[in-house]
Amino acid sequence: MTSTSPRIILICSGKGGVGKTTLTANLGIALARLGERTAVLDADFGLRNLDLLLGLENRIVYTAQEVLAGTCRLEQALVKHKLQPNLSLLPAGNPRMLEWLTPEDMKKIVALLAERSDYVLIDCPAGIEDGFKNAAAAAQEAIVITTPEVSAVRDADRVIGLLNVQGIQPVQLVLNRVRPKMVASQEMLSVDDVTDILALPLLGLVVEDEQVIVSTNRGEPLTLQGAPSPAGQAYLNVAQRLRGEDLPIVDPSKERTGLRARLKRILKTRLF
Amino acid sequence: MAAALIPALAPDQPHLLRLPEGMGSASALEEVHQTLRQSSLQGPVALECGDWLLRVPELRDLEQLLQRHGLKLRRISGHSPGTLVAAAALGLDHGRSRPVNGSGSNATASGSSDPLTVHRGTLRSGDHLQVEGSVLLLGDVNPGARISAGGHVLVWGRLRGMAHAGCSGDRSARIVALQLRPLQLRIADAVARGPEEPPPAGLAEEALLVDGTIRIDPASPGWPLLQ
Repeated sequence: MTSTSPRIILICSGKGGVGKTTLTANLGIALARLGERTAVLDADFGLRNLDLLLGLENRIVYTAQEVLAGTCRLEQALVKHKLQPNLSLLPAGNPRMLEWLTPEDMKKIVALLAERSDYVLIDCPAGIEDGFKNAAAAAQEAIVITTPEVSAVRDADRVIGLLNVQGIQPVQLVLNRVRPKMVASQEMLSVDDVTDILALPLLGLVVEDEQVIVSTNRGEPLTLQGAPSPAGQAYLNVAQRLRGEDLPIVDPSKERTGLRARLKRILKTRLF
Repeated sequence: MAAALIPALAPDQPHLLRLPEGMGSASALEEVHQTLRQSSLQGPVALECGDWLLRVPELRDLEQLLQRHGLKLRRISGHSPGTLVAAAALGLDHGRSRPVNGSGSNATASGSSDPLTVHRGTLRSGDHLQVEGSVLLLGDVNPGARISAGGHVLVWGRLRGMAHAGCSGDRSARIVALQLRPLQLRIADAVARGPEEPPPAGLAEEALLVDGTIRIDPASPGWPLLQ
């Protein structure tokens, strides 16, 4: 297959609830659809739910914990996705036994995963304590996800500082849950406001989309669909940009003000 | 040329571990490893890093290596701001050491006794850069970050966090930034909240102490270190 070394990417945010796990699940599916052998690792051992979002909860037999203990082989613990066999999930260990994991354990697990993958995505827990440090120990590069809120941006900034100190490069940014109308009426931080502070290359911009909630509850990531919803398309674009494709990023709050764009949209809606 | 381990003079002081001046192909860890093999000292140790840039993983490895030899890493000093930031991230006591030879010519160029530290890169939320003399930051100070200096604080960028000039009581110290919109300013023992209204575009500003209160003016064209 590919001769390049696998890419080990940490997905983190600092603040909770901004969309780390959703991004991990959707990005994992999107990369798998693009033909990449992808492994997703839930590093949120205390509150694991990556398996829920991927709809794989009932297929878990062994976890990372058993792999490390040597009671099973990695292949036994890996859960392949039903529809996208390129994607496999390594479930986190038992939430009641949090003490077992060290940065060294993490490096071991990731090294095992890297042997058989093109991409390893690590879903980082919220916060900057031990869980974050464990998850970051094995990562080479990182995606920081944030929403256009002051607190989320502040936490993301802190996390970026910690990633820099750890020597993790490159760090790229995904801006999640953008509401173009609120940005246009200046009730929400704009894309420029956020990139101004964080000063990171923007890897993607995801608009607020109710379908995300539906897909989460169903355990079917948006990127599985043939014609995905706006957020699903944004996640697909993130995957494509991650592979080096040069796709322009459209700021939805600016797009709607253009007269030509509005005309185009009217034409489109009339035609179809 | 390996690292030098100098035993403490008094029992309550730490030993001094000095990394070699010339950076060869060996890593800091290898240098220290070599030195420790010939020594049986125990107890607290202060690490003098010189120009070495040591990141968190390297410092952590060093700490563990010292621990295996019965030595406890107490304090880190060096010239590289990156090393000091990493030491702060690990919660270790740290400080800037003065350059030992003439290589630190920028330290005396101002003619004052204050050395100037130049730091490249943005300070992010939670970071704290602290220097003894004056500091010139090439980058931004983001909200939630702190920069403090015994002398002036000069920011070639946006100052949106907290700045403290004249930490050790120098009331003539100034804070200068290309865009001065801090959360809080401190000069010596005076404290002020940052202004609320957006900054005038394209105008560098400075904060200085006038009659015990902090005032913000358009930056004077002179280099404050020469005054």
